[in-house]
Amino acid sequence: MRSVKRNLILLLSSAFLLIIWQVAAQLLDSQILLPGLVPVFSTLLKLMSDPVFTPNVLFTVLRALESFLIIVVTATILGVLSGRYQLLSVALRPFVTVVKAVPVMSVILLAFIWFTSSTVPLFSAFLMGFPVMYLQIEMGVKQLDSNLLEMCNLYGFSKKTKITYFLVPSMVPYFVTGARTTLSMVWKVVIAAEVLTVPRYGVGSRMQLSQVQLETDKVLSWTLIAIFLTALGDLVLEAVIWISSSVKQQLDKRSVSCVS
Amino acid sequence: MRFLEIEKNYGENCVFDKFSLEIPPKTILSVVGPSGEGKTTLLQMASGLLQPDDGSIIRESGEEGPVSYLFQEPRLLPSSTVFANIELALRSTYSDKEERKALALHYLRLVDLDDSLGLYPHQLSGGMRQRVAIARAFAHQCNLMLLDEPFQSLDIKLKYSLLNAFVTLWEKNPKTTLFVTHDPKEAILLGDAVCCLGDPKKPLLYQKINIPRKARNIDDASLLALEAKLVQSLVQS
Repeated sequence: MRSVKRNLILLLSSAFLLIIWQVAAQLLDSQILLPGLVPVFSTLLKLMSDPVFTPNVLFTVLRALESFLIIVVTATILGVLSGRYQLLSVALRPFVTVVKAVPVMSVILLAFIWFTSSTVPLFSAFLMGFPVMYLQIEMGVKQLDSNLLEMCNLYGFSKKTKITYFLVPSMVPYFVTGARTTLSMVWKVVIAAEVLTVPRYGVGSRMQLSQVQLETDKVLSWTLIAIFLTALGDLVLEAVIWISSSVKQQLDKRSVSCVS
Repeated sequence: MRFLEIEKNYGENCVFDKFSLEIPPKTILSVVGPSGEGKTTLLQMASGLLQPDDGSIIRESGEEGPVSYLFQEPRLLPSSTVFANIELALRSTYSDKEERKALALHYLRLVDLDDSLGLYPHQLSGGMRQRVAIARAFAHQCNLMLLDEPFQSLDIKLKYSLLNAFVTLWEKNPKTTLFVTHDPKEAILLGDAVCCLGDPKKPLLYQKINIPRKARNIDDASLLALEAKLVQSLVQS
């Protein structure tokens, strides 16, 4: 019942946003300033049937995924080491502080001077997403339960057992929070970088070209695609988390049923 | 186990000064004392987590090797099942998986938790969690057991039920045990001897209890007298 109510509220609030859009479009009555729902959705359908739609979306997805994976791997390794070794944490602090404070646009513009247009989204997304994930992981390691660690040591847990049954489960909430925030940030930065650097294929490139030609319906259609991609990314991440937790519970159940 | 003329200081604060204490093999020594008088320090030195500044701690033959520790709080791994929490503590001593399973099940049966094997700690009540911790302490192969106020902050009914569970398991497999508590009643019901800390040089009180553990009754006149003596020592320290 609670999930039905939740879905109903979500549906109603989404419908409310669409109504506001349509009312605003009718009030402005201008296809350039704000086209209505019907022209935007029909443009969206046309875009989706266009042969260049797939490579544009695919390249953006690949750039986002690539940056996300690089961030997750590097930030996890460095975050764990920083949480463990105070000296490394102190050494990385200025880098993290600077990167956190630099505006996204400055990073993209500077990267555009240094790199090719297809590398800029990757580099910019890395710089923007890395501190979020890194700080979460570092905090997770610093906040490990010292009482549980003492118990593991007194009961002679091996390094492998400690990592599998204490360290990894303790880090999961921090990892998930970091990954969620990083993923939604990565989409935004990758598309923003594509808008500024206009690589051959990319959702951001299409947005930029449509904007230059004052095709607001296309800009809004590509924006809807970007929103859809972000939502899909979140859903996939949630699904991975849910599947992992279900598999763990099933394995736990199986090991217990073998005993009883 | 013997503490021989141990010294321990925390800055200016002297906790032990040539302090000696003996726990006869396979007996329980209950230690009571006010906060800050070295109860936890004594346990940590016994476990090897802390070294004395001077003096020595001798573990007699048969007391060497790993220790089992019952903490104030259960300290169970939150993402592991009740069964896994016990089984993991057996890995350092038993390489055979089937043997570990059988032992874990055996000890969980002894604390009446064999129907909760697949539950996670957050699905258990406080008393059930502490029973898992007791089962883990006994399942873990050791010859020395250290108890750091494990029955504190439990309601009276639960406390006595856990004390009984502990005594049942201990009588089946006695181990040299150091039991630290704030509660003189608990100390008297569980210990073969009771000791009161409060003076860095020597125990304020050390008395053996000759009544068998299972026959002890909190209304017994001699136990009530001992409790009064303990309370008096605690108040005066």
